Amino acid sequence: MSEKAEKLGAEKERQWPTKTEFTPEMLAEMEKLLPSKLNRVVAASLAGCIHCGMCSDACHYSVSIPEDKTLVPAYKADKFRKWYKSRYDWMAKVFPSFVGAEPLTKELAEEMYDKLFGGCTMCRRCTVNCPMGVDYGMMVRAARSMMQQVGRVPQHLQDTVDTHYNAGNNMAVPQDEMIETIEWIEEELQDEEGCENFKIPVDKKGARYFLTLNPREPKYYPLTIQATAKVLNAAGVDFTISSRYWDLTNYALFNGNDPDAKLFSQWQVDDVKRLGCEYLLAGECGHGYRALRWELPNWVGGVPFKITSVLELFAKLILEKRIKLDKSVWDGTRFTYHDSCNIARSGGIWKEPRIVINAAANDFVEMEHHGPESFCCGGGGGALAMPEFTPRRIAAGKIKADEIRATGANVCLQSCHNCTDQLKEIIEHYHIDAKVMNLAELLSPALVL
Amino acid sequence: MENNVSHALLFLEEEVQYICLAFMALMYVIKISLLLKKPVPPEKAELKGDRVAGAFESLLNVLKPWSMESTRKNTYFYVEFLIFHIAVVLTIGATFLIPLTPQFMTPAVTQLFMIFMGLAFLIGLRRIHRRFTVPEIRIISSPDDFFAIILMTVFFATGFVALYFWLNKMPETAWMWIFFLMTTFFLLYVPFSKISHYILYPFGRVNFGRTFGGRGVTNTKAKSSDWNPTL
Repeated sequence: MSEKAEKLGAEKERQWPTKTEFTPEMLAEMEKLLPSKLNRVVAASLAGCIHCGMCSDACHYSVSIPEDKTLVPAYKADKFRKWYKSRYDWMAKVFPSFVGAEPLTKELAEEMYDKLFGGCTMCRRCTVNCPMGVDYGMMVRAARSMMQQVGRVPQHLQDTVDTHYNAGNNMAVPQDEMIETIEWIEEELQDEEGCENFKIPVDKKGARYFLTLNPREPKYYPLTIQATAKVLNAAGVDFTISSRYWDLTNYALFNGNDPDAKLFSQWQVDDVKRLGCEYLLAGECGHGYRALRWELPNWVGGVPFKITSVLELFAKLILEKRIKLDKSVWDGTRFTYHDSCNIARSGGIWKEPRIVINAAANDFVEMEHHGPESFCCGGGGGALAMPEFTPRRIAAGKIKADEIRATGANVCLQSCHNCTDQLKEIIEHYHIDAKVMNLAELLSPALVL
Repeated sequence: MENNVSHALLFLEEEVQYICLAFMALMYVIKISLLLKKPVPPEKAELKGDRVAGAFESLLNVLKPWSMESTRKNTYFYVEFLIFHIAVVLTIGATFLIPLTPQFMTPAVTQLFMIFMGLAFLIGLRRIHRRFTVPEIRIISSPDDFFAIILMTVFFATGFVALYFWLNKMPETAWMWIFFLMTTFFLLYVPFSKISHYILYPFGRVNFGRTFGGRGVTNTKAKSSDWNPTL
């Protein structure tokens, strides 16, 4: 590449000041922030819990670690609710302890930090099992948002957001390195039999699909880009990858910083407009899909293009018979599929992966809980970016590990990079003989070219 | 049946109740208006499902125990919940029917009310036991949670006994006085307690239904095949 690499991300770099403990000044600041976080969903969720305990069987933390009762969703949410009640509950004005209200003290704030960053992946499985419709995901994000604003946020999670802010993608992949990586992957793809004319266009103006990637792909999993590009080429899909804002992740969804979430979204929106694409296409990434498909239009106030996922596109290509697959390549391999919470439960995509899998493989076994009822693997909500909570994250993955084991599958398919890493860790930790693959990797070898 | 009671009890059954009821209604109006003042999160994404249908489905969730794993796998718990809440409606209904249309409280109707009150009393006892003894429930319980369930259980028991005497043509007994005094207390207390959760229920369910319905999770009627290749 001859041209000088462009500086992406914010003009002025920043490092968010993080704190290791709450101070009185931080608590005072949080008190000021609270009213601004109480939209109707959050307020109804804070006021609406009746402590029925139906959520206790819904959470992968409380199911996998039953000896720790403080991991029951209602208990965790109550750390925030106690504070809310002390401010807004009528009875709490007279008898605070009667309704479990507590003022925001350093101790309560630290418990909030522990439970709402380190004990919840915002997977919303408790939400869909709550008789009152309490939206734990929205509520926990609101609490995280206030803690992040005052600097009490897991360092590595904040670093990920800061890197995105400073470099335009969350792994600081420079533009020239990204283009070289894509060119190298294209060469590798063209070396495959029947793929001599396949292309991975970069910055192709007017392409129909603007394909976005998780930075882990160019960094650590380039073969997944190769596999995706192979499928899209085989189907004759007109797509491109941007040299600028190709990163679909948005960790501000996890730390709760709305201005950052909006900024990252706006970069992507402007980039899709720059290339004049019809679709913003989310690659295989759980929170990235949700952030693009369901949150981005709200953060930026609407978009003039459509947003979809490669999972929907793959299913469409199969149903329209635009790709031909030979299932026999996977004979002898049993598959199961882990539904990412942000794709299935918060995103509405669970039939499409099954269309893809059943078209490419003969031996597919569902886990006991699947689709919108799937248990979180434990890697959601930015949990992989919070090493201080790693032992709890691995312990919370036990229910998922048990369900994978019960299928007898050799391969656990999924469509999310956070899930990939978590599933790999729990499969190793719980001694399961299976490997982890995404759907493009399932389709690619089965393509009949 | 006739409600031949002293003027004092009739005053408690009617005027006092109306005043307390008006107070309760006022508190609810304030509570609801405070919640309605909160901004609704915007939804500018192209929908995969129908938000309105999702909200309706979600509101009816209470009648569809199969729709949630938590109720699907706890049928006994759900049946208890159903009986308990039917009993709540009937018991509150009795406080209106006895003074206003006592002729409606025939022996058959009274016995039906008593059956539900009796069952709800037993369920209440079980729920109190559960709240004290199941660790994950006890840890999330506030004094209000204990007080509310104990109060309801005593209310059912009182109502049951009061109706027993009513059935035996003794409309004015100490039990009826306690029953209506408790009703008075309820009307004043409930807006400030967790028992008022039924006011919040529609908000929670509609919020849930709009979000998950619009995303095609609970209501898969897509507006456009772009978003649903299975159409």
